[in-house]
Amino acid sequence: MAEQSDQSDAVLDALGRFDGALASVDVDAAVAAVEGLLDDGVDPATVLVDVISSAQRIVGDRWQRGEWTVAEEHAATAVAVSATEAVARYARRVPATRGRVVVACAEREWHALPAMIVGTALRGAGWEVTLLGASTPPLRLSQYLQDLGPDATAVSCSVLGALPTTRRFIEASTSAGIPVVVGGSAFGVDGRRATALGATAWAASARDAVAVVAELPTVVPEAAPLPGPAVGEQAALELIHHRLFTGLRERWALAAQVVTTEQLPLDSVAAVAVDVVNQALHAVWSALLTGDPTTLSETAAWTAALLFARGVEPGLVDELGRLLAADLRDFPLARDLVDRHWTDGALTAGRP
Amino acid sequence: MTGSKPAAPGAQAPPLGERAAPAEAEHGTRSLLSDQQLLAGARERIALTAEVTTQLAGSLNLRRTILRLFALVRPGMADWVMLAMADDSSSRLSLFGGKNPTFSTAVHRAEAEDLGLTRVLRSGRSELLHVVDTGHADGLDSMIPHDGLRSEATALRPADVLGVALTARGSTVGVLVLVRGAGRGFTEEDVALAEVVAARAATALDSARLYEERTRVASVLQSGLRPPVLPRPDGLRLAARFRAAAQHLDIGGDFYDVHGSGDDWLVVLGDVCGKGVEAAVLTGRARQSVRTAYHFDRRPGGVLAALNAVLYEEDSDRFVTVVCARVRPAADGRSAEVTLAVAGHPPPLLVRADGSVVETEVAGTVAGVLPDVAYTETALRLESGDTLLMFTDGIYEARGPDGCYGMDRLRALLPAYAGASPAVVCEAVERDVVEYLGGRAHDDMALFAVSCER
Ligand code: B12
Repeated sequence: MAEQSDQSDAVLDALGRFDGALASVDVDAAVAAVEGLLDDGVDPATVLVDVISSAQRIVGDRWQRGEWTVAEEHAATAVAVSATEAVARYARRVPATRGRVVVACAEREWHALPAMIVGTALRGAGWEVTLLGASTPPLRLSQYLQDLGPDATAVSCSVLGALPTTRRFIEASTSAGIPVVVGGSAFGVDGRRATALGATAWAASARDAVAVVAELPTVVPEAAPLPGPAVGEQAALELIHHRLFTGLRERWALAAQVVTTEQLPLDSVAAVAVDVVNQALHAVWSALLTGDPTTLSETAAWTAALLFARGVEPGLVDELGRLLAADLRDFPLARDLVDRHWTDGALTAGRP
Repeated sequence: MTGSKPAAPGAQAPPLGERAAPAEAEHGTRSLLSDQQLLAGARERIALTAEVTTQLAGSLNLRRTILRLFALVRPGMADWVMLAMADDSSSRLSLFGGKNPTFSTAVHRAEAEDLGLTRVLRSGRSELLHVVDTGHADGLDSMIPHDGLRSEATALRPADVLGVALTARGSTVGVLVLVRGAGRGFTEEDVALAEVVAARAATALDSARLYEERTRVASVLQSGLRPPVLPRPDGLRLAARFRAAAQHLDIGGDFYDVHGSGDDWLVVLGDVCGKGVEAAVLTGRARQSVRTAYHFDRRPGGVLAALNAVLYEEDSDRFVTVVCARVRPAADGRSAEVTLAVAGHPPPLLVRADGSVVETEVAGTVAGVLPDVAYTETALRLESGDTLLMFTDGIYEARGPDGCYGMDRLRALLPAYAGASPAVVCEAVERDVVEYLGGRAHDDMALFAVSCER
């Protein structure tokens, strides 16, 4: 018992040092923090999940609160990547005896680190891992699946915008009979979205990913088709995305100028407006494909938090919902989802 | 007699669908029910064979095709299943499956020479053996030339062993060995069904085998054409990205390389005309020429002049654009001296630590079209926090909804990444360009960034 709490103290302590290293973009300090734990016999999965991933979430919160720019977020992540590589050097000492997993991010997914972390955890558990990296076209995935014939495909998806392409990965994998395990923040807090998209399994963390991959069936049937009308609307929305996006951003940013009372925040609103409008449209895609409307309420809540941190009038969230619903007039399912679920989120979050 | 006796070889059973009704179907009231049962059975079999065809069509990978076949066959058609595949290029017989579907091993063909398994492989005709529950030299020995696998099957005795030939494109490529335990012997119909399934499976397995051979050849050839793993020179940080126009390939017409040692390095980034495999082959030659030239002359101008001469003499209408940067880091890792030369390539950008973006002033003729070209060099100094970014035209010519991505977008993006590590700069540019494309096709894209270590 004492030993265990010693260890969790050590992990917490390392997390503090690691977070400092990310903030000061100090690769050596970050690597030293994780190597110290590994040398003391802390399990690689614990280092990956409780130090590196936890620190990355703090990075995200700083961006969300407007304290860090995207470039700073990116620089910190490069440090975390170096630390993950250090863990990978330990993980590679474990003999690879369990078969092979291909780990990838679908198109539009640029969060490569979560995939790398999951890949490293699997390698540490004795799997041979082939990492395909960020935003991979489905043709490239298929080529690897046919060439390597892995035991499983693992797909990491952090942003809602990549759920449709993740579905294409699920199709590519299951049509070759290969089980596919998914995870990442775009899937939310449980396996519902994953099941709806036809994934074989879902896991909440890199640690759970190891357990789940060990239990996968050898062969799976091809994923069942998704409901036709919803898929049709999503595909159409994806096709006209640029037009919808441009129209919404212009009108919403205009509204932003009217509604914003303070002078300063305008800049920050303009900077996040692109992400917010994209995310809102992507939330609609996701709700259509997964049948889970919480993607919309979550995105509204997230938008509210972003705007609140930048000192902006919260009414802008509702404004975006109204504009979105109006622009979706030709898409009955999508429009209904926005009408019914955007405001839920706007009401529950981010308010002082 | 112990062991096995040959039973009616399945090859003689009538094909599925043309079968006479079994004897009991001719008796009175039972016949109606049996007809229905027969019909249901036939439907099931047709469904199964259709299933086999579609399921096995989804995979070109031999291992995955085998796993899928096992999943289709077990437990419905057999309690235990093994696949033997002949490998023409060696004297081995590959064995797959058993209790653990992912198991595989290989035995010498000579070891199986006098066995039923080899008979099936040679004759292409199925054999059904009944195995009684005593003795040693039985049907299991005859069909399973591996101790571990055989003892798994032995546990099912008394059993029926069925060896079905897998014949595709005129040759028997393997044998599917099915075992059923007590009370579940193979009927004639079962044998016929197994043969239909085997026929479908054989084509899929043979295709997968051919694909695997091609993959092996291709990946050996391709390995020399893939982007290299970058060295980690003292005093410098290097990063690169490559995204192929042909999405499923990791090779194309853009290339990069790093040569050198100690405190003297040469970074090369280039673009041959064309894309895909043909272009990749040409990059292989260009890279080799640069490597050889560098051996004799470390100056970028000299390397390019030599490359130009070699490509010109090759007498092809192909040409290559290249940027060469000789980088000499200071011992403290806080600065580096750079000498640049280009052959028809866009000049690199220099992102200063303060966020200013400078286009380097360097120009030169594309390599391979004129004889005897001299390349002028430009010198610059990288200070702490500066990044030198090299790229190919696939970056600024990427076509999105608003036309080309363009150099202006690139210059506008970079100031935010002043002082960032080369890996971050490359990732940020790649992401911005690919997002800009919005899913449209693109040319090969390559990026290379260099900065001092500190
Ligand atoms: C670093 C980062 C970036 C970097 C990524 C660089 C890189 N090379 O990875 C950059 C700068 C490129 C980036 C860009 C963007 N990002 Co960002 N990013 C992050 C950040 C801070 C960390 C991501 C990370 O590494 N997490 C660590 C991982 C390991 O944790 P995790 O994702 O929770 O993963 C765990 C589990 O989910 C699970 N898991 C993950 N994958 C898998 C896979 C399988 C198979 C399994 C079984 C399990 C599993 O295991 C992991 C470990 O236990 C997050 C914040 C956060 N909360 O995560 C934001 C975050 C993901 N980004 C966000 C946003 C909005 C963006 C941008 C739109 C704008 C921006 N901020 O720049 C763009 C969009 C880019 C795109 N289209 O993909 C939002 C997403 C919001 C939302 N509701 O969806 C977040 C949450 C920030 C925030 N709080 O708002 N980002």
